[in-house]
Amino acid sequence: MILPREGNCSRTSQPARYTAAVSTSSFRFDQLTYSYGPRRVLDRVAGTTESGEMLLIEGSNGSGKSTLIRCLAGLQRPQAGSIQWIDQGRELDDVARRRGVGWVGPDLSFYEALSAAENLDFFARLRGLAEDPAVEILERLGVPPQRLVGALSSGMLQRLRWSFALQHRPGMLLLDEPFQNLDSAGEDATRALLRQHLEAGGMAIVASPIDLGLASGRRLVLDPTRSGGGA
Amino acid sequence: MWWFRQVRAVFVKDWRTELRTRHALHTIALFAVSTLLTVSLALGPAGVSAETRTSTLPVILWIILLFAAAAGLPRCFVAEEEGHTAAALRLTAAPSAVFAGKCAFAVALLVGLELLLTPLFLALMGLEIADAAMLVTALVLGALGLGTASVLVAAMVAQARGRGALFPVLSFPLLIPLLLLAVELTRGAVAGSLPPGVAEQLLLYDASLIVAGLMLFPVIWNP
Repeated sequence: MILPREGNCSRTSQPARYTAAVSTSSFRFDQLTYSYGPRRVLDRVAGTTESGEMLLIEGSNGSGKSTLIRCLAGLQRPQAGSIQWIDQGRELDDVARRRGVGWVGPDLSFYEALSAAENLDFFARLRGLAEDPAVEILERLGVPPQRLVGALSSGMLQRLRWSFALQHRPGMLLLDEPFQNLDSAGEDATRALLRQHLEAGGMAIVASPIDLGLASGRRLVLDPTRSGGGA
Repeated sequence: MWWFRQVRAVFVKDWRTELRTRHALHTIALFAVSTLLTVSLALGPAGVSAETRTSTLPVILWIILLFAAAAGLPRCFVAEEEGHTAAALRLTAAPSAVFAGKCAFAVALLVGLELLLTPLFLALMGLEIADAAMLVTALVLGALGLGTASVLVAAMVAQARGRGALFPVLSFPLLIPLLLLAVELTRGAVAGSLPPGVAEQLLLYDASLIVAGLMLFPVIWNP
């Protein structure tokens, strides 16, 4: 993620300017099916989003939102269906898709024996980022960079997840319950980051069991009693 | 170059977390030293006849190293899965780089253990080495194979239930040829003579494990 050094950087009340990787992209999934043993949680689910747009996924607990997000991130392989991310006319393969998304989810964790800055520095190296934006992002989201992850509150951990997701200027943000455990300042800051990501041409898919008050023309409702959801 | 940077990052991260938590360090060192003390108290320098020392004592050394590795190394991937850090690693790193970085960590840990254990073993058992260079070769090549095989099996075990029981079941058959060759090489170091080709066979076995690991690991690691 590129965060200009000038401008507001005074913690969460003044969220960072954020510039996503600007490109013309589309992200679509079709006929996605996933079962845990005999229990089918995703049944021929379809959806699409494009540059600057956001797809909202709604559904009750157990409706398969997290499973869908994990499938889209490439962390679980759907048993049927297709996922297609076309970036500037070129379709990304599974590896590029996995590296190109920014994922926030409740089951994303970090190394508890390392500090927040050390964690982000490690992932920056793995991502091959030329500059190390870790400490700057953490400061802008109000996370104490030198505090061990094992000593972070659940709200701070959620802010760290956002920092991890935005670190590499992803073209697609996959957000699973993105504002959980955040206080109002943290929620304002992350909502601003999401808005800036979309304004810069990024895409986002946001899953939540409750109405987050996000404006989007695309909506997908997952209902465990009904199959074949689509947006 | 990026791949090597990823390997280095995984290696450094594993050492950093290990030096702070000391899970594997404590487990491996305590197991190895307590087993060594038990063996030395039971046998001692006089417990093994001069005729059988060369054939028996290298076996005991490698059995201690094998079980110490089995006690500590499976955690290298189990910790990633149980701590839910594996997902972030999957999103950011090439699978082969994760494998190579974990192998480098495991081999370095085993070489460190050998540096601690081997002089103690030689002193307590009164074992003299005729060819020190051959002993170093045996220890380094043995650690390379033991570390690589352990990491590969640990990655499989971490995805499964019944992890504790699975590691020895899966790893020991893979390690038997390696141990036989390492024992033979260590015997050669003690006796000062070695049948030709043993070091080369051990090197080839290590190379096979590394190549097989690099090919298999992405299948194990990716969903």
